[in-house]
Amino acid sequence: MDVQFAKIEGKSVGYWVTVSILAAATIAGFVATLIMNEHGLYLSGMTNRVPWGLQISMAIFYIGLSAGSLVVSGLYGVFGKMEYKPFARIAAYLAMLFLIAGLLSIFTDQGRIDRVFTKPFTYVNATSMFSINPALYSGHIMICVLYLWALFKEKGTLTKITSLVVVLWAIGTHTGTGAIFAFVPRELYNSALLPPSFVAAALSSGAALMILVIVGLSRATKRHLDDDLIIWMGRRLLSIFIVVTFYVLLIENAHRAYLAYSREAGFFFLSGGVHSLMFWVGLIFIGCVVPAVLLFIKRTGTSVPWTVFASVLVVVGVLFERFLIVIPGLIHPPELFPGWEIQDAVIWEGVVSYSISPLEVLQTLGVIGAIGFAFVVGLKVMPLAPLEARVLPAKS
Amino acid sequence: MDRRNFLKRGSAAVAGAAGALSLPVLSSCTSEAEAAGSRLEGKKWGMLIDLTRCREGCTACMDACREENNVAYHGDRRWDVHWIRKATLHPHEESAGLEEKEVLLMCNQCDEPPCAMVCPVQATYKRPDGIVLVDHHRCIGCRYCMLACPYNARFFNWKENPEWPNKEYPRRSHGVAESCHFCAHLIDKGGRPACVAACERSGAGALIFGDLNDPGSEISRLVAAGGAKRVREDFGTQPKVYYLGL
Repeated sequence: MDVQFAKIEGKSVGYWVTVSILAAATIAGFVATLIMNEHGLYLSGMTNRVPWGLQISMAIFYIGLSAGSLVVSGLYGVFGKMEYKPFARIAAYLAMLFLIAGLLSIFTDQGRIDRVFTKPFTYVNATSMFSINPALYSGHIMICVLYLWALFKEKGTLTKITSLVVVLWAIGTHTGTGAIFAFVPRELYNSALLPPSFVAAALSSGAALMILVIVGLSRATKRHLDDDLIIWMGRRLLSIFIVVTFYVLLIENAHRAYLAYSREAGFFFLSGGVHSLMFWVGLIFIGCVVPAVLLFIKRTGTSVPWTVFASVLVVVGVLFERFLIVIPGLIHPPELFPGWEIQDAVIWEGVVSYSISPLEVLQTLGVIGAIGFAFVVGLKVMPLAPLEARVLPAKS
Repeated sequence: MDRRNFLKRGSAAVAGAAGALSLPVLSSCTSEAEAAGSRLEGKKWGMLIDLTRCREGCTACMDACREENNVAYHGDRRWDVHWIRKATLHPHEESAGLEEKEVLLMCNQCDEPPCAMVCPVQATYKRPDGIVLVDHHRCIGCRYCMLACPYNARFFNWKENPEWPNKEYPRRSHGVAESCHFCAHLIDKGGRPACVAACERSGAGALIFGDLNDPGSEISRLVAAGGAKRVREDFGTQPKVYYLGL
């Protein structure tokens, strides 16, 4: 099937309003980062006990979202489902942007931004996931660029090869991101299941986001999209990814709560405050159970609006999941003296809390603005979106 | 002289001059580093905290540390930096006849330091004599070390430090991580950590510092005598800070 691609016109009022809002958000985030860089990171909600906050949570959320490219290029490049080729360009472009968003979030979160472009290149530490991951991320970005180029130039063989490489590399990228936490000796972090659960949630959120982007774009540009393409993605892919994510989360938490060594931390995670509410309501109910049920029931699962709704829930649920990877492991204190509670001290001991500061919110909006801007402008200057996407006629 | 020859000779002259200037400097640097390396080799500095001699309400070690190392204090528990700190331990089961007790907490100077393992730029590293320290000119402020430290012993400069009591030692800009380094700058001059000296001056003598590789040192004898514990040895981090009376 010969797929036609075309730039969007981008002349409507709606388009320019969108571009302006995204540009304004980018500037706001830039200014917020400048202020923090000048005065110090105490302007964030982070403290000596909670040294990572919203920015890192968002970074791993974006990196997870880039798995959309993995899903689409897997369908098309690895399993030969040619009807998904129309979305390959958008998937590759978005994957590139989301990885850049992840890197931007991490970059703006550093204490000494001025050194980030020199020191990590001169002094590599092979035992640090923070040294290994930038290589995985920049490699991923470069492969996406190559993949995109091959798609633009309609290079058949190169497209096949790069789409397979993207799949393999993306699994590495997401595993590496999970390993940032899994390889740290804290009760709520050091789980060998964390990297696979990161991959599972990345696939869920990536597939859900692809559904939202494809449907949104076809509605906004009034280009034809066969409902069956979306319904197949929802019922045959997203639903399974959700179940796998749920399964891995179940095992991880049951294991933690079962073993005496981590029981206290496990129960703290499951029933110890606001984060537990996020887990049960935000992640399990809104992010897993409701969308899975919606997709499995035939009446809702075969309706595009319901599939879109389920996808929104999955993206929100995975956002909670990312926050829950980073924060609870930090606010829960390591047990230094088993049998004893550290009561009073000059620093915050025991269970602490983390609240997001306005500047951190601005930084986050800035990153979303920057990649949103690049996406919307990209649609106008590059033939990324398909003119139409149809189910292939059955072979007779 | 044609242009080509001029360039050739010119560059040779520049290279020669640069070489002549830099060679002595370079060689002195190398020999200094070598000497420092051999001085550090074979040593294994450790600390023993005798809690039975540590006095309630005394802050001599903490004050001395702050004065010596220009450790930032802002009066806010969220951002204050403490290289050595006191905490009160409350027993989970009071019925067992256990009573509240005070402990001193500091960087454990692990022999297997997770902070150095995760540092992406090797700003945190272990010297040949076992001291774990931070190169504040290299740290990018990612705070991964703070996550990796299971002892909550690493701190970040969230704010600019307004105080600079000891001009002999640098103060840190905001945006870099730090922790106790056994006063490596004093050890290199043949001295010992400021907290140890202060504790001795106060009359308590609860802090014993020395070379764990030297079987004749006081700390080695006390550790060998048994009864000295380390915090959460099961973490496998091999702390070099021991406790008596924990």
